[in-house]
This record gives sequence, C-alpha cells and structure tokens, in this order.
Amino acid sequence: MSTVDHLNDERAPEGPAENRRVPRAGHFLYLVPGFLLYAAFCLWPIAQTAYFSFFRWDGITDMRWIGLRNYLELFTDPLTLTIFGHGLVMIVFYAILPVLIGLLIVAIMTRVRIRLLAIFRTVLFLPQILATVVVAVAWRWIYAYDGPINAVLELLGMGFLTRAWLGDFDTALASVGLIGTWINFGLCMVLFIGGAQKIDTQLYEAARLDGAGPVQEFLAVTLPGLRGEISIALILTVTNALRNFDIVWNTTAGGPGTETLVPSYLIYEGAFITRNVGFAAAASVVLTALILVLTASITIGLRRRY
Amino acid sequence: MASVDIRNVRKSFGKTDVLKGISIDVDDGQFVVLVGPSGCGKSTLLRMIAGLETISGGDIKVGDDLMNAVPPKERDIAMVFQNYALYPHMTVAQNMGFSLKLKKIPKAEIRKKVEQAAEILGLTPLLERRPAQLSGGQRQRVAMGRAIVRDPKVFLFDEPLSNLDAKLRVQMRTEIKSLHQRLRTTMLYVTHDQIEALTMADVIVLMNEGRIEQAGPPLELYDLPANMFVAGFIGSPAMNFVHGRIENGAFVSTKGVTLPLGVAPEGLEGKDVVYGVRPEHLHVVTEPGVGAEAEVQIIEPAGSETQVHLTLGGDEIVGVFRERLDLAPGSTVRLTTDSAAVHLFDPESGRRHIL
Ligand SMILES: Nc1ncnc2c1ncn2[C@@H]1O[C@H](COP(=O)(O)OP(=O)(O)OP(=O)(O)O)[C@@H](O)[C@H]1O
Ligand SMILES: [Mg+2]
Repeated sequence: MSTVDHLNDERAPEGPAENRRVPRAGHFLYLVPGFLLYAAFCLWPIAQTAYFSFFRWDGITDMRWIGLRNYLELFTDPLTLTIFGHGLVMIVFYAILPVLIGLLIVAIMTRVRIRLLAIFRTVLFLPQILATVVVAVAWRWIYAYDGPINAVLELLGMGFLTRAWLGDFDTALASVGLIGTWINFGLCMVLFIGGAQKIDTQLYEAARLDGAGPVQEFLAVTLPGLRGEISIALILTVTNALRNFDIVWNTTAGGPGTETLVPSYLIYEGAFITRNVGFAAAASVVLTALILVLTASITIGLRRRY
Repeated sequence: MASVDIRNVRKSFGKTDVLKGISIDVDDGQFVVLVGPSGCGKSTLLRMIAGLETISGGDIKVGDDLMNAVPPKERDIAMVFQNYALYPHMTVAQNMGFSLKLKKIPKAEIRKKVEQAAEILGLTPLLERRPAQLSGGQRQRVAMGRAIVRDPKVFLFDEPLSNLDAKLRVQMRTEIKSLHQRLRTTMLYVTHDQIEALTMADVIVLMNEGRIEQAGPPLELYDLPANMFVAGFIGSPAMNFVHGRIENGAFVSTKGVTLPLGVAPEGLEGKDVVYGVRPEHLHVVTEPGVGAEAEVQIIEPAGSETQVHLTLGGDEIVGVFRERLDLAPGSTVRLTTDSAAVHLFDPESGRRHIL
C-alpha cells in the first residue's frame, strides 16, 4: 500500500454550496414591514430606556440631565449591588442546577432504556407551560409553615429543621431559587433528550468497544453531542434567571427584608413605586448588558469548533 | 490474534428468531466474509461477537475463552462501523488514540502507535484534522486506524464500504485486503455485496434468513453452489435458471427447448429439474444445426464484455459474451453451454444434484 497515491483521487470534503447571490437593493424592500415593527416595538423602547437613564425623572414632570449619576448610584449603593448579586445566585438555581440535573438524567437514559418516556417527558415539562402565578401559589403552599415539606420533616423526626422556608432569612433565597430549578429542569431535559436522540448510537457502541465506562462514554459522546442544546438551555435559563420577577413577586415579594430582591424588582420599584424612572432605566440598561455579555460568552464558549 | 469459534448461536428479539443456529469456525488469521441479503442477520451476528448484543443461545469463543458473558471492552475486539462512528469533536489522532488513552497508556507511546498506524493508512498529513474535514474514504481509513492501534485479537467490519462511491469502494477493497495480509489478524467482514465477498474472502459464509446456506472458499461457492439460493446469490449477473425435465438423458425445458448436458444424469430420468447455467458459460454458435435457438431482446455493451438478454422458448435468460458479436434486438441466435459448468437443481428443495 503506498501512502501517497490514495490521497490524491479522493473528493475534497464537501463544503457549502457556493451559490450565494448578492442581494439587490430591491430585495431589502421585503424587509421593511418587519423591520418597522421591530424598530417600533423593540429598538425604539431600548433607545428610549438608554436615553432616560441619563436623567432624573419621575415620569411626569420635566426631565433633568444628570449624566452618569444613576449608574454611579447603581454601582456604589451596597443594596443594589446585593440585589444584582441575588441575580447571579439565581443563575445557579435557574440555569446551572437544571442543566446539571438534565445532563445527569440524559446520561442515565443513554445507558438504561426508560419506559413511558413520552409521559415522563410531558410531566417534567409541565412546569414550563403552567402560568407562573399558579406555580408560585403552589410553592407558597408547599413551603408554608404548615405545608408538606415541614410535615414530612416532622414525620422523619427532623422537626428541628422545620421553618417558614420563604420567610426565613437563611433559606428564602435558596427556596425561591429551587422553584426556578423545578421550572427549568424540565425544559433542559426535553432539550437534552431531543439532542441525545440525534446522537448516532454507533458512537456509543464504538466508545464501549474502545473501553469507555459510563463516565468516559458520557464525556466522549453525550456531552460533546449535546453542545448545541446545552448552549441553548443556558441562554434561555440564564436570561430567565436574570429577568426573573413573577416567581419572586408572587412568593416572597422580595422579603424577608431585602433577602430575595432581584434586579427586575429594582426596575419595577423605580418605575412604579419610587417614581425614579431614570434610575430604573439605568438598572434596565445594566441588566440588559449583563444578559448580553453572559449569553454572548455562553454562545462563544460552547461554539462548535469542528 | 485468535481463532473465533461460533457454535450453534441463536438470537431472538422477542418472538422473532433472527439467527437460527449458526456455527462458524474462523481460523487464526483468516479473512472471513459474512454475506447475505438484507435482514438475514449478518450485523446481528457480528454485534454478538463484539458483545453489543446478548446471545440467546449457543457459544462464542475467541481463542480458548468463552465470550458469552464478557463485556465488550474486555473482549479485545475492534469493530469498524458502517458510518465510521468517529468522535466528531476529536482530531484524527485523538480518535485513533482514544482507546489507548482509556487504557492509561503513556502519551509518548500512544503517539508512536498512532503515527505508525497513520503511516500504514496514509493518514499522516491528516492527523490534526477533525472528521468533518475529511472525505468519506479518509474517514473510513481513520475508522480502520482506530482499530489497528489497538492491535486487537479480532477485527470486525460491518459493511465498511457501503457509503463510498464505486471507484473508492474498489480501491478500499484492495487496501483492506493488503492490510489483512500485512497484519495477519483474524478478520470478520460483513457485506451484502457478493463481489466484495468473492474478491476479499479466504472463506465466505453465505447466510439467508438466519441460517448458513453454504460456507467455503469463494470459488467453491461459485463452482459448486450447494443450492439454488447460493447459485443465484454468488455471481453477477446471476445464474440463469430454466425449469424443465430430463428426457432421454437430455434436458428439455417446460417450453420445449432442449439444452445440452455434459454427463447423462443417472437416476434423474423423467424427473423435474432446474437447469442452472451462468451467463458467462453461454456461447453463441454459428455452425448450422447446433445449439438452442434464442431471441435477442436487449443488448448492454460494457466494453470488456457484452450482456445480452434473450428469450429461450419463453424463458428469459442472460448471457455475457467477451467476444464482439454482431447482434440486433429481435434477431435469433443459437446458444450452447459449457456443459461441464451446468448444474441441475431439485425444484422442490433447491438442492444441487451431484452429477
Ligand atoms: N434490536 C432489534 N429488535 C428487533 N429486531 C431486530 C433488532 N435488530 C435487528 N432486528 C431484526 O433482525 C433481522 C436481522 O437484522 P440485521 O441487522 O442483522 O440484518 P443484516 O443482515 O445486517 O441486514 P443489512 O444487510 O440490511 O444490514 C432483521 O429482520 C431485523 O429487523
Ligand atoms: Mg447490517
């Protein structure tokens, strides 16, 4: 066997078809209606918000230019920093935990065939389609002092652990966060199951013949195969975590004290309660920037490199 | 390197019996090709040898070790899959070295083995590429490289060439064969292409519906097919079958055409038989009064030979002629056969009569 000549007569790897045409000016006409809607309902409000953030304004009387003072306040006030910190904690509960749980379940699924997968999947996806108010009310009851969690703890003889979970300074933030975990892990799982079903089963068999155990098989086949789905799941859930308002508002309303205040609450409070629209706008801009930076990092970090 | 001993192996998926008792002896270093129509259970058998499917009955031994309950990774068997099953996020070198890395073999040694295998397969310039940047034939070679670096006891191939174009398929066929001659490792190779089987195998195992129809060296299956299934499967275009009976020591088809026989068959006088003759054993004769008349239907020149579809009485047959013939559709020719190459089959059981 010669090493040279059989490289010659092979086809080059197939590339994308080179038949892209240069769009003509007229083609852009078709984009105009969509773009107008997008500009009116998305770009314009964003621009306005950014503009407001340089003013002190109560929403009614004259606006007063104050430059970067709103931002300065945002980044120096310990409370607002704590609140943005809560936003980051929420990422752990809303994004990282659900993704990890989802991956664990998919890892098990690739080894053991799960019967009634469709039902299982629907049940786990259910939290995604329930109205968040319903979810919040349900969990308020679950976490209540006379709710099922404490009842179970009593039953197990761990009565010393019982508390009003959402009212306790130590547990409120984590308790609210876990509701997000519950909501989001079904989404992650459905995404990952879909992704895992697209992975060629021969890859698993090849890995098994290569001598891979369950963990190595997961690292060599499942995880790389789910790269795209993990990226989408993280983008959705991280955004969700940082924008989170309804669950918090309907369970703890930010309490006890300021324990569960989240960035969106700052915006709500500034815009509708303290009537400090400029500050709310600045908080929105920072939150938006944070989401953009995080989702961009996720996209770049998990980009396909092959 | 090891022999493989397959003893009365069965496989059922639920109620369907896919393999109904298969026994094959593969000698150490032999190249055995499992061939058969789609769905006959070739892949299933191969996967059972690899340990990817459980064994419903019988024994599989590699060397002297019973493999029935041994997990795949401890069998020391490498498999090349039909769609290559390369890890898409790994480079060629990482793909080939993956199994060694799992065995915790030192990096330098992995490198050496990968480079050696790459050299054999002509993959050296491609080691840092990823599978997506390779052509089909190159991926195919990486898949083989991944098997070679492990230096396994047995190589299994499941239709490794079926995703390649015709020209590359022929080239890879030769390469796999020369790889076998170089490594001398026992190889089991699955294909549904009888040409691949004939050209590559030391031994062909022809399967059908979960059973072995015949096993033996390629030319034995070609020259002495055990039955009509083997006769029809091996060889292309397929053997012509003409139904008829033996009358006065000659064959007369149901349409009344007499065809020549070499030896007057004993004990078949007056019996119904199937007359089998390969297209390449038909000849056109010009001397008057010799041979059976046939009408030319379609002529397919292929350069080195010409395939001609004819009707003989009412039976459709195919002839392959190496000489240039001046034929026209609708014209009549007279045919004879290499009478030594004629087979007679029992129409009921399909078995070949020993003449
Ligand atoms: N997991 C399974 N469950 C049920 N039936 C199966 C399973 N795998 C294979 N079969 C059946 O077993 C039979 C043999 O399949 P197998 O894949 O071994 O065929 P094959 O000879 O490799 O065919 P091909 O040339 O098309 O690859 C088929 O009828 C198939 O439907
Ligand atoms: Mg198959």
